Formats: sequence, C-alpha cells, structure tokens
Amino acid sequence: MKTGFLNSSVNSPDCLPDSRQSFIFAAFAQGYRNHSGENLPGFNRDFQSRLAIAAATIDPVLSHFGFSGETFENDELRTQYLTYIYSSTAAGILRKLKFRPVLTAGYSMGIYAALFDAGSITFASGLELIQIAYQSMRDSLPHDHFSMGTIIGLSGNDLTDLIGNHNLEASISNRNASHSFVVSGYRGDVRKLLELAAAEGALHTRDLGVSLPYHSRLLEQGSLDFARKIRAIGFQPAANPVVSLVDQKILQTPEALRNEVVRNLCCPLNWLNTQEVMVQNGVNMFVECGPSNGLVKNSKFVEGNYRFYTLGNLPPAE
Amino acid sequence: MATITESIKAEVKEIVYNFFAEECETDVSRITNETNIISDLDGDSLMFLELIEIFKKKYHLDIELKTIGKYAVKHPVSTIGQLIEMQLLIIEHENRLLEFER
Repeated sequence: MKTGFLNSSVNSPDCLPDSRQSFIFAAFAQGYRNHSGENLPGFNRDFQSRLAIAAATIDPVLSHFGFSGETFENDELRTQYLTYIYSSTAAGILRKLKFRPVLTAGYSMGIYAALFDAGSITFASGLELIQIAYQSMRDSLPHDHFSMGTIIGLSGNDLTDLIGNHNLEASISNRNASHSFVVSGYRGDVRKLLELAAAEGALHTRDLGVSLPYHSRLLEQGSLDFARKIRAIGFQPAANPVVSLVDQKILQTPEALRNEVVRNLCCPLNWLNTQEVMVQNGVNMFVECGPSNGLVKNSKFVEGNYRFYTLGNLPPAE
Repeated sequence: MATITESIKAEVKEIVYNFFAEECETDVSRITNETNIISDLDGDSLMFLELIEIFKKKYHLDIELKTIGKYAVKHPVSTIGQLIEMQLLIIEHENRLLEFER
C-alpha cells in the first residue's frame, strides 16, 4: 500500500520506531521562490554559509543567488551547484534533527549531494566534481547540438520502437516510472522523438532545454576524461550505503562510489528500479532533500508500504 | 464495456475530487466541476497518469495509456468536470474509446 504524506499520521521520526529512512537528492531543482526548506531550523543561515563557500571557491557569481531573485534555473552548471548546496544543507539539518537514512540515492546529478551526505566526499569536493563533470562533458561535445526530453504515457518498448523505426540518435536515459521516461540525444532527433511520441499517444512530452545528453553513450568520451581528472579527489567509505541508479547495486566503498560518479555520466539510469530496490531493502520513508517535490511527483508508481515527504511536509522534529 | 450507472458516476466524481484535494493540498470543498486542473490546482500529467492507474485497477480496465493519449489530443481536458467525463468514457469504452466520438 502506498501512503502519501497527507494521510501520514506520524508526528516525529521518533514516532516511527521502525522507520527506515532514505534521503533522495534531485539534480536540477526548481521552485526556490516558495522553497520547502525555509521552515527548517537554521536553514537560511546554513545555506548562506555554504553558498558563500561555493562563491569563494568555485564561482563568484553564485553570490548573486536569491530565493526571490536570481535563481540560475536556466543555467545548466550553476543550477547544479545550487541544487547541491541546497540539498546538502537540508540533509545536514535533517541529520541534526535525528533523521537517520539507511540508504540514499541521488537522481542524476544529485549523486554528488548523496555522496556528500553519506560522508564519502567533502563539500568542496562535491563542488569540484560538479565543475569537472560539466567541463569534461562540455569539452567532449563542444557543439550545442544535443538535448533531453521527457515523455509520459508510452511504454519503454513503444519508445524503443520509435527510436529504431526512425533511426533516431536518441536513447532512453532514465526510467522514472513504467510510463514515464527521460530521453537524451542529438537535439533534432530528440525533438523528432517527442513529436512522434505525441502522435503515438503520449500524454505529455517536453523538451528539457538542456544542452548535454546526460546519461547517454554520447558522453562516454567525456566520462573517461572526467575519470582521469578526478583521480586526485579523495573518496571515503560511505557512512550509509548509496544505491546506484545505473544497476541498483548498493555501494559503500570508495572505489565503487568513484566508479559510480563516472558511469553516472554516460550510462542510462533507472529511477523506478532504484526506488523499488530501496523499498525491497526495507525503506519505508523517503525524504526529498530539495526545494520542491519533483522526485515525489515521480515516485508514486512504486509498489510497497512507504511514505514520501518533502521538506515542507515533514513530521515535526522534537 | 461497462454500463455507467448513477452509482459509478458518483463514485468517479468522489475519487477525482479526493484525489486532487490530496495531491494538490487543497480542501475538497474548494473543488468544483469548473475548477481548472492546471491553473487552479497546479495539476500535471503525472497526476493524470496516477489517476488513470487508480481507475484501471479499481474497474479492471483493459485500456492502453496511448489510447487515452490519442483521445485526449482530440478532446483536451482542462477542468475537473471534463476529466470526470473522460474517465467515465474510459470506463465505459475501454480500448474502444477512439471509436467513440462525443
């Protein structure tokens, strides 16, 4: 049975003695204007502190960020930094409030926040990984000929048939649910696929407007370059295991986690299976550590007995 | 092919109203048949997908999502009342939905 947070009867984490929590981390967060973490105790102070560190060490322009002003949501790199800063801040506060995830997972580029939260990398290393990953991908595909899109309402077989029958240079890059997908590839082919999917009966299609084909083999070269450039960055054993979105293995060693950030760039992901594995491993409480509910929206198609929370709907802490 | 009774109509309406009240964090008393799903409730296609799955399970419907998608292109839905009407047609006609023209 699936239970939404609105019919949750819990009042605090301690009221769920059998709760097995998972923190989940978004990649490209939106919705800062009414962000759900604003009521977490100390959130703004901690966020501003981390933002200042990021501005001083990685990108001075980040200091222009404001929840009601410039949010950089259309800036492909800066939005990753900000999502990472936001998510890691929120997760840190939740841990202070005695939330204790038994498993974590980072959706797409949310992997860096998951690794930081699990204690595998430092905050500064996370920023550096985001920067190097983006630059490696950008350098390997310097032309702006790529894109991604979402398709809701068709099956994976439907999409595979459309791609094959029309010889499109596009691929499924993430399976969010049985009938909800992200696709990546050459921009013209992604757009063609979205058109074909709509004609085939998709309930919804959308060009995501990004310039890189994340999680596709088009980024294999960029991922090799990334692997070489991050050799000097230290990875520690994770304090709690992290679930791979690539093959759903439960990762904890530095070697496995380092390998995961590399293949995360060029391998297709499966968010649906990742959540299913977490539920099979006893997770019954998911907390989305981001400013909105993007992952929660995508996470309602998993069978099992669990609850979903956003930062704005958490059980009150003691 | 099901016969749509007054009881089914009432049940579908109740499910749709309660679903959007919960998903959109609003009081059910604020929802009417004229409520716009997107502009008033900030609804989206994932909610629509979830609702279809609820009805597929509840009424054991034999219908492909893409059949609904093709129908929705011809008959776009924007209000709660239109959505209820569509759900009733789905329950009534299942995979023969496209053969039916309003």
